[in-house]
Amino acid sequence: MSQAQQAADIAFDHVGVTYPNGFVGLDDITLRIGGGEMVAVVGLSGAGKSTLVRTINGLVPISSGQITVGDVGLKGLRGKGLRTVRSEIGMIFQSFNLAKRTTVINNVLMGRLYHTPAWRALLAAWKRDDVELAMQALERVEIVHKAYAKASELSGGQQQRVAIARSLAQRPRVILADEPTASLDPPTSHVVMRDLQRINADLGITVVVNLHFLDLARRYGQRLLGLREGRLVFDGPGADADEGVFESIYGRSLTAEDMLPGHQQAAV
Amino acid sequence: MTTFPIAVPPPGDAPGIATRHPDEHRPWPHKPRTWPRALVIAAVICALTAWSAIAIQFDPATLIRNAHNASRTLVQLFQPDYTFIPDTAGALLETVQMAVIGTAVSVALALPISFLASRVTNPSTVVLGVARFIMNVIRSIPDLLYAAVFVTVIGTGAISGVFALVLFDLGIMVKLISEALDGLDRGGQEAALASGATWLKADRIAMLPEVAPSYISQTIYVFELNIRASTVIGLVGAGGLGMLIDKVRTFYQYHYLSTIILEVLVIILALELLSSASRKRLLI
Ligand SMILES: Nc1ncnc2c1ncn2[C@@H]1O[C@H](COP(=O)(O)OP(=O)(O)OP(=O)(O)O)[C@@H](O)[C@H]1O
Ligand SMILES: [Mg+2]
Repeated sequence: MSQAQQAADIAFDHVGVTYPNGFVGLDDITLRIGGGEMVAVVGLSGAGKSTLVRTINGLVPISSGQITVGDVGLKGLRGKGLRTVRSEIGMIFQSFNLAKRTTVINNVLMGRLYHTPAWRALLAAWKRDDVELAMQALERVEIVHKAYAKASELSGGQQQRVAIARSLAQRPRVILADEPTASLDPPTSHVVMRDLQRINADLGITVVVNLHFLDLARRYGQRLLGLREGRLVFDGPGADADEGVFESIYGRSLTAEDMLPGHQQAAV
Repeated sequence: MTTFPIAVPPPGDAPGIATRHPDEHRPWPHKPRTWPRALVIAAVICALTAWSAIAIQFDPATLIRNAHNASRTLVQLFQPDYTFIPDTAGALLETVQMAVIGTAVSVALALPISFLASRVTNPSTVVLGVARFIMNVIRSIPDLLYAAVFVTVIGTGAISGVFALVLFDLGIMVKLISEALDGLDRGGQEAALASGATWLKADRIAMLPEVAPSYISQTIYVFELNIRASTVIGLVGAGGLGMLIDKVRTFYQYHYLSTIILEVLVIILALELLSSASRKRLLI
């Protein structure tokens, strides 16, 4: 697959998110993620992890402050400008978010829609180059032999790899992953996390990944962001995140439930 | 002796649950009283029925007075004249043709309109509101009324019938498909939008394949409806068998009428068999 575009810096400058119902999802977040970094975001359920990653591609609009991706400010960005930023940011979801009744290759080609003229999209007449790109992306996650299978016929792990291929087909500068392993069993979780790690290392794509399990976060995130009630309470290398830090993030000491099952012995 | 004695639960009690004397205080909720409501509903229905019967001047005596007439007609109806069949071929064919064309045009139009009429595929509340309002108006008018209007405006014949069917089908089809869209998993669409696709592209690529099975199934359903409807709307002059029915009825040719009724019966049964078979093949 051809070289990814140069990885983008992501800068949060006093970012706040207030949901329409008045709930404060993010509170005064300031941080900078350098191009090519692999960052894991941890925190309790409801801490604002999803909110944080979804502000980076504008799925959640910010209420105050500013986020810059590359050199584009996201505040108030709409229409074509927003779509252009989004085209450079891949996203991987907890529930895979595939169109289940169509083929794997069609799902991957979805990542090319920004660059596909409307008439081509309406006729599903994909460009030859885009099909080539999509096949290469599938090959990278070792699932190209399933290209013409129906997405619903794949296992969870395979579906998530299709989703990764879809984001790769965008030739993104950033990949966001919102609990990409939460619907997967432990061995498959590692397969998917290693895929993300390789993408980060080989292609230099910035990866921001929300993780529920601490051992996964420490193992795969060079850098850890800890969120609690919408605020950033930890930012540093995983190795620095000791028992005290975990307590500040989780408000309690670490238990086996914070680890991926079968890995209680690992980490900490 | 078995090591696990099987306890016989006291009658009416689940095993393992402490028994309780029926006279003891029961903290469980009382069964709500529903009969007063049922009584009111029954009374309203009876009143409405009586009022309607009076309003249309329904008089059992008329039935008896006309019994002689009716029995003669019935005797004729039960003696269909099969030699009439060749004369109905043209009208029969026209009915089927109307149904085919009506279905084809309406389902083609219904697809894009359904995407406009579903809040899941259309982000614009204004366009959504307008589309839904127009479709509600179209759907509220019965097929026979459409047929009558088009016969008046365009003239008698199959063309009026086709127009009537298209509007009638469109109302049904858009309602069914937009509701199917409303219930779909939006994961693929969310991913497409997150990658910078416009709503149009995301809907086409991520939502259309998901709604396709419902679309095919409803198309077959609408075709079945059309065969029936295209017979009825002929009565007001919109072509097909209905027009023929109207003619033989006017001339009291009840032998012929029953032949046509039998034909309609056969054709509807045949088409329903065909469509349920194709539905199975298309959907699995
Ligand atoms: N659209 C919304 N409207 C109102 N409140 C919301 C909305 N989305 C999220 N929230 C609230 O914002 C808070 C943070 O949500 P978020 O989804 O970011 O949490 P999370 O850290 O990802 O949790 P989880 O681990 O359960 O996914 C939660 O309390 C949630 O209820
Ligand atoms: Mg979340």
